[in-house]
Amino acid sequence: MTPLPNQRAPKTRAVARRLGGHVVRGLVMIWVVTTISFVIIRNIPGNPVLGQYEKLIEKGMSPDEAQRATAALYGFLPTGTLWEQYTGYLKALLHLDLGQSISTPGTEVVTLLASAAKWTVLPVLGGTLLSFLLGVTLGVYAGIKRSGKLGDLLSISGSLLHGVPQYVIGLLMLAIFTTLWPILPPGGPVDVEYVPGLNAGYLASLVQHATLPVLTYALASYGGWVLAMKSSVATVLGDDFILAAELRGLTRGVLFRYIARNAILPLFTILALSLGMLFGGAIFIERIFNYPGLGLLLVNSIGARDYALMGGTFLVTTVAIIVANIAADLLYTVIDPRVRTGGAA
Amino acid sequence: MKRLAAIAALAALAATAACGQVAAPAGPGGVYTTIDGAKQIDATAPINPFNPQGSTFVGYDAMSLAWPKNSLTDPNQFYPGIAQSWTTTPGQGEVVVHLRPDARWSDGKPVTSQDVRTSIGLAYTQGGSAYTVNAGAAGAAADIQVVDAKTIKVVQGANRSNTFLRNVLSTVVVPDHVYGKLLPAGFWATLTAARGTGPAADRAKAEITGLTQKVITFAPPQDVSAGPFVLERINPGAALLRRNPYFYDAAKIVPDKVKVLNYTGNEQIWNYLVSGKLDSAPFTAVPAAVMGRIKSAPGNAVRRGYSPVAASMAFNQAHKPYDNVHVRRALAYLIDRAQVTKIASPEAGTPSLTTTGIHGDSAKAWLGERLATLNPYKVDPAKADLELKAAGMVKRGGTWRMPDGKPWKVELHVPASFSDWVAAAKSITSQLNDHGIDANVTTSADYVLYLDELAAGKFDVGFWLMALGPSSYNIFQRLYGSANGWSLLAGRLSHSPPGKDGNWMGGPEKIDGIDPGELTNRLNLATPQEQKNIVGTLATVTNQQLPVIQIYDYVNTQFINTSRYTGWPPDGSEALRLPAGVWMQLGMIKKR
Repeated sequence: MTPLPNQRAPKTRAVARRLGGHVVRGLVMIWVVTTISFVIIRNIPGNPVLGQYEKLIEKGMSPDEAQRATAALYGFLPTGTLWEQYTGYLKALLHLDLGQSISTPGTEVVTLLASAAKWTVLPVLGGTLLSFLLGVTLGVYAGIKRSGKLGDLLSISGSLLHGVPQYVIGLLMLAIFTTLWPILPPGGPVDVEYVPGLNAGYLASLVQHATLPVLTYALASYGGWVLAMKSSVATVLGDDFILAAELRGLTRGVLFRYIARNAILPLFTILALSLGMLFGGAIFIERIFNYPGLGLLLVNSIGARDYALMGGTFLVTTVAIIVANIAADLLYTVIDPRVRTGGAA
Repeated sequence: MKRLAAIAALAALAATAACGQVAAPAGPGGVYTTIDGAKQIDATAPINPFNPQGSTFVGYDAMSLAWPKNSLTDPNQFYPGIAQSWTTTPGQGEVVVHLRPDARWSDGKPVTSQDVRTSIGLAYTQGGSAYTVNAGAAGAAADIQVVDAKTIKVVQGANRSNTFLRNVLSTVVVPDHVYGKLLPAGFWATLTAARGTGPAADRAKAEITGLTQKVITFAPPQDVSAGPFVLERINPGAALLRRNPYFYDAAKIVPDKVKVLNYTGNEQIWNYLVSGKLDSAPFTAVPAAVMGRIKSAPGNAVRRGYSPVAASMAFNQAHKPYDNVHVRRALAYLIDRAQVTKIASPEAGTPSLTTTGIHGDSAKAWLGERLATLNPYKVDPAKADLELKAAGMVKRGGTWRMPDGKPWKVELHVPASFSDWVAAAKSITSQLNDHGIDANVTTSADYVLYLDELAAGKFDVGFWLMALGPSSYNIFQRLYGSANGWSLLAGRLSHSPPGKDGNWMGGPEKIDGIDPGELTNRLNLATPQEQKNIVGTLATVTNQQLPVIQIYDYVNTQFINTSRYTGWPPDGSEALRLPAGVWMQLGMIKKR
């Protein structure tokens, strides 16, 4: 039955009010996190120019050359009192100006973030979705067959992979597929010999270079999804509607869908939050495979004491997580009627 | 599941299809794959050599007037680059540079003296040794004259430096028709005004230094190179350079393309080396186990040569008991440098013969027979005990204590990211513990933090890079420069007390009537014979006073792969530390 216009209006207003509340809270959280990260970043000890100079010396550059290469960097350091820097930073932020990098002198932080973000999306989004699909599907089997060998096998595989750190899986993948059985490239995002664009060679090279990061991320995340889904399925299996469905003699396929649809609800929230974390990058994976995403950008910016870039990377991660939180909350009200109607469904 | 299987199959198909495909096949010269040791690639950086992170590659598409040889003692030895030849007057008062008559930019325009003049003007905006607006600075250029289209003269100011030629020949040359617009009209008049004194000179200096960011951020739409290659494409993982058909010695250049791979840590270079992907790679610290894997990859080989850097253990002499030379000597007698080197840097280091402040190879050339007269500080616990007693230290219960009986703990600081230093520090502290000295290693999270804490005087003892030749001034400036209180501002040398202006070494201003900082500063200006005398004096003072204990001298360890190319510079070659692009310019690299 389609609700009448006068019935629909209060619901729309309620959603708008809910969304408005989320946005206001989100903005306050962004301001708080931005302020805290600003203070922390500005108080990290270390002189970026001196650090760069000594690094060049360590690489064998003569002191004169190193001085030439770093003298101009002083012009990119923030000046003024901490308060002046803070107010200037906030004013610029309102115009979406995140400042200029010192590690890539003169380049806008926004440019660096945009460049890194596109490389993070492929392995992290690809890895998250692949692990979610695999983990959730196999998690249902693990839950249903939890007393059998298949269930045991899936549970053990989930526990094992869940317990192994990302970087260990990454190093193993690297050793297997680039040294023992060298069929994949050891690093980089794409072979520079291919002309960028929608051509087969370039796209194939993209896939080839992303395979190990995606697989590593997927394997590292898979265990969590399997175990969470198995646990959720075990809970759902005890519900009355499953018993009713079995008594009605529904086919195994239909029963599987009933179980999966209901058990997956809590995992959607985790998935939305995982997608928010996507913009934090996958530091270890990006580092191991030399994949130029946001995680690597953050690590390098800390090492170089690139204040503007550090601030920009933290901001992107913060905004992404807050947006993901809001999206998860709103999404849950859509996919689970019990939340929408206060548990009266 | 079916969809998933289909996606996986497509991905596998695409990956398989990619294997062996080449977008634009290189010619018979092939693609030469390497690493740029000086910087990591940032695809967002402009194609501009004045930008420290710029998307240009020295020796390939970024060209200097000439290329420095890896000389043990003479910083003014060069291979020709864009400059075919050069002459200097005695004392390096004037340097006349003759450009290659056939040098051209990759857009076909000739390389002229005006290009060099503009490049020098742009270098002034960045500051630096020869091109500084600081009046009175040693070795500053005073005049730049275009003699003709292929000849340029650079005149040194009154306060002369013996490395002026080196600094002039190191000038990176960019095309005037691309970069010339960055210099405002009247720039050269402003530069002349900036060399004076008073408010007008200050305004002129500010005007020139105000151009710094404009020059650094300038982004030409495409690469215009006078080198053997020109940038074709760059992404965050690599840069691709193709041959420049207008290069003056194009016949010597064998590879059709050069691929410069990016890295964010040494381990990525190791991965590339283990997989045999690199035709050459610059000096990289490598653990012994990884070195074994690298050497076992088909075609991989190592070239070794002189590297003017040494690792040392430096003291903060403002902290007790390190203000006492007997304590420093005692520690020197207790450290087995050969053992430390074997553990910390077996492939890229040799144990220091003794502490002179100079790399061992270079010390032989500088000091000759005098080297044998210096104290070698061979391991000798008995002498160490005598030195400690002379310092008033007391031994109780098998452990050495401070003269007042309080505990003495040697805290040896190193940055956590320098694996060879960490290993060396652990070996040293273990040896000291064996001799009744309570010692341990403390690490700083990263190098930038380490340097900050070091400069703030927070450490008693820390690791320090030294012996930065071939310039004798650069060698001793690491021991008797700003880290030890001596600063050179506008040509005037001054000494700050320990704890001020970055003086963390805290050594005395004068030792037995000798002012080592003043002597070091004189090295910049001295004749070759005077330099030899001063170096002898400073090496002796350093050997006796031990502001540092020299632990191991680095060995330049380069990696090559002989599967695709040959003609590599041999061990000990003067070209070994130059980029492979320069080896190609010198006609070394051939196709296998």
